[in-house]
Amino acid sequence: MLAFVIRRIITTIPVMAFVALFVFSLLYIAPGDPAAVIAGDQASPADVERIRASLGLDRAYLVRFGEWLFRVLQGDLGTSIFTSLPVTQLIGQRIEPTLSLMVLTLIFAIVIAVPMGVIAAWKAGTWIDKFAMAFAVLGFSVPVFVVGYLLAYTFALKLDWLPVQGYTPLSQGFWPWLRNLILPAVTLGFVYIALIARITRATMLEVLQQDYIRTARSKGLGQRSILFLHALKNAAVPVITIIGIGIALLIGGAVVTESVFAIPGLGRLTVDAILRRDYPVIQGVVLMFSFVYVLVNLLIDLAYTLVDPRIRY
Amino acid sequence: MDRRTFLKSAAGAGTLAATGGIAMPALSQGAAAKTLRFVPQANLANFDPIWGTQYVVRNAAALVWDTLYGIDEKFQPQRQMVESEEVSSDGLTWTFKLRPGLKFHDGEPVLAKDVVQSLIRWSARDPMGLMIRGIQNEIVAVDDRTWKWSLKQPYPKMLLALAKNNAPCSFIMPERIAKTDPFTQITEYIGSGPMKFARSEWVPGAKAVFEKFADYVPRSEPASWLAGGKKMLVDRIEWVIMPDPATAAAALQNGEVDWWETPLADLVPVLKKHKDINVDIGDPLGNIGAFRMNHLFPPFNNLKVRQAVMTALNQEDYMRSIVGDDDKLWKPLPGFFTPGTPGYTEAGGEMMKMKNVAAAKKLLAESGYKGEPVVCVVAQDMSATKSMGDVTAELLKSIGMNVDFVATDWGTVGARRAQKTPPGQGGWSMFHTWHAGADCINPASYTAIRANGDKAWFGWPDVPSVETGVTDWFSAKDEAQEKSAIDAINKAAVENVVYVPTGFYLGYQAWRKNVSGVVSGPLPFSWGVSKA
Repeated sequence: MLAFVIRRIITTIPVMAFVALFVFSLLYIAPGDPAAVIAGDQASPADVERIRASLGLDRAYLVRFGEWLFRVLQGDLGTSIFTSLPVTQLIGQRIEPTLSLMVLTLIFAIVIAVPMGVIAAWKAGTWIDKFAMAFAVLGFSVPVFVVGYLLAYTFALKLDWLPVQGYTPLSQGFWPWLRNLILPAVTLGFVYIALIARITRATMLEVLQQDYIRTARSKGLGQRSILFLHALKNAAVPVITIIGIGIALLIGGAVVTESVFAIPGLGRLTVDAILRRDYPVIQGVVLMFSFVYVLVNLLIDLAYTLVDPRIRY
Repeated sequence: MDRRTFLKSAAGAGTLAATGGIAMPALSQGAAAKTLRFVPQANLANFDPIWGTQYVVRNAAALVWDTLYGIDEKFQPQRQMVESEEVSSDGLTWTFKLRPGLKFHDGEPVLAKDVVQSLIRWSARDPMGLMIRGIQNEIVAVDDRTWKWSLKQPYPKMLLALAKNNAPCSFIMPERIAKTDPFTQITEYIGSGPMKFARSEWVPGAKAVFEKFADYVPRSEPASWLAGGKKMLVDRIEWVIMPDPATAAAALQNGEVDWWETPLADLVPVLKKHKDINVDIGDPLGNIGAFRMNHLFPPFNNLKVRQAVMTALNQEDYMRSIVGDDDKLWKPLPGFFTPGTPGYTEAGGEMMKMKNVAAAKKLLAESGYKGEPVVCVVAQDMSATKSMGDVTAELLKSIGMNVDFVATDWGTVGARRAQKTPPGQGGWSMFHTWHAGADCINPASYTAIRANGDKAWFGWPDVPSVETGVTDWFSAKDEAQEKSAIDAINKAAVENVVYVPTGFYLGYQAWRKNVSGVVSGPLPFSWGVSKA
């Protein structure tokens, strides 16, 4: 197991190197010029050129890549062109809101979606199943921002139960923190519930046809025990896989959700950086997300061994 | 804990929360009344008003850094940090004296050496500053409160240069900070303005916080735009960045923010109906919609082609595409200068009133236009440029031009418009933008109207008669001479189609009714604003 973990961590290095090269190259060839944005509309072309030179954007591709890579290897993601703040500081300011949103969304989605999928499979073909699957279709079909606006309109503007926007750090209290995150998490969780519920249902349907389930029933085990202790455990591998894949979905969804609810998270940091061509920030954030994604995949591989003892590394 | 106990506890907590049982701390409630929560037009991504000239930076900087002079609502420069000034009889030496008792936020006194260094940095970036630099002998501190600026030739617009609200403004910083290269960003935000910048609370893209500066000494005159007494009636101003207009509208309705600088026109009807919200014109100087043509390459290096486009254009199409049906928000602009200001003129503007497609086609035929593609670069992420771009594409097609519509984002437009290569090789034929009306009051800050070829703004028009008018305005000795110069500039700019104004439009601002003292102006003035 330990050897497997070490092997997997080592394999992340070429992946990260490829991501670094790809992102840097993509930004290099992408149109746009941060110097022009900084200089503003009244600036002369000479001013723009001078700012570009002061930012080092006029140097050759290889020189810039080499310098950046050298700094990254030392743990320095560089400095934002616009704010003059270190990229690590900017990411640090934004990690808590995004992490909070993602964790809450995950909890909310799993708590709802897994039982929904299990019950839908158990009651396959009934109105309960049809209702659950109709909900799943709706979850896939309705864009995140539409769900966000509808929830904000209902629960913030009309009922005045929850705030429309913003984020309160956990250090200022659990309820203020949670209060700001309920609507965004529900919004972001909508599509995630649909995804997990569908996969859980499909896998459970397959497992429920197995001989050992029939044996369990004939032994007189209760329905709840059969479904959640015996069937779900065997259906868990694909469900865990989809939860892992869904992390990427969450990262993408967080960009929209954070904009709709004005949450100062990494999603908004990324969009702002892209619109302004703040290259060091874009590179830093993408590199960090790719690392997180690789890490999540590793954790999922390890989680398989917990639910299925037959899997060994 | 069993299931029933847990459910009881959860329900109890829910009820408590729903009934307000979990109250906010008393400190927060008290502080809320002294805190003004403001949604600015854009993100405060950097905070050096000389290095970055975006309006949002200028607006935030006006809280933190003071200016020597301030422009008032009658467009006149008034003393601000300055106590007195004197100009020699030959107009070559200006002597200024600071008001006593001015302090920076770090407690240090504001001295003449700080002013001198700040003006050196500012004048390296500002168009008027550069003109002064070009004729400067020296600028020196005489004593702690006095400095002299000696010139090789008179510069009658000196006070306007130091007072103007166009970016970059001549904000005064401590000498050590002002020594930073003007093309490098400062990293210390110490000013002598009425508010201090709470750097530790700054989250670029999300929040910027300003705290009242207890040692600020406002002038005794009533506040008038950037002039007069800047009395702060709140202790703290929080800028809350909201990229989504619908969220900002909802937050204002819900009382989560107090003042929104630029509500989207589509959302204004909802805000107007709300019992707790006031809506009024934000900046009375508004904006001038515009598209610029590339004077270097076909087809727009041909005057008749440019005139054909201007002749066919109907500004109402453009303005309605931006502001919708609200007639209070726009007016036709048969000229280049901001309506309602002393410089406004329609001299020579007949061509802009024609809206004549047949005449335009005739001009186009006379021009010898051979169907060269018009590379029309349009930023889709700015609602105004997107709307105008769509109208222009239809306009050009209606007169028989071949349009190559390039839909892109503002970041790309910003870079591409600087390219002087032919349109087919990464260059461009036209792009859309807008100019703040405050920048188009007179030639001093009106970069877009300059027509000095290579040195001109993007499109690089070369029209000597416009430049003659600009020179005449700078040397004008009275208002009549200034007016005459502006008339000449306008006439030459229309005849030669320096660029194409697509109309004049305004925007609203909205604020909660428990906030008072909000005025219309070219920037959101927070002094004099209080919150009940």
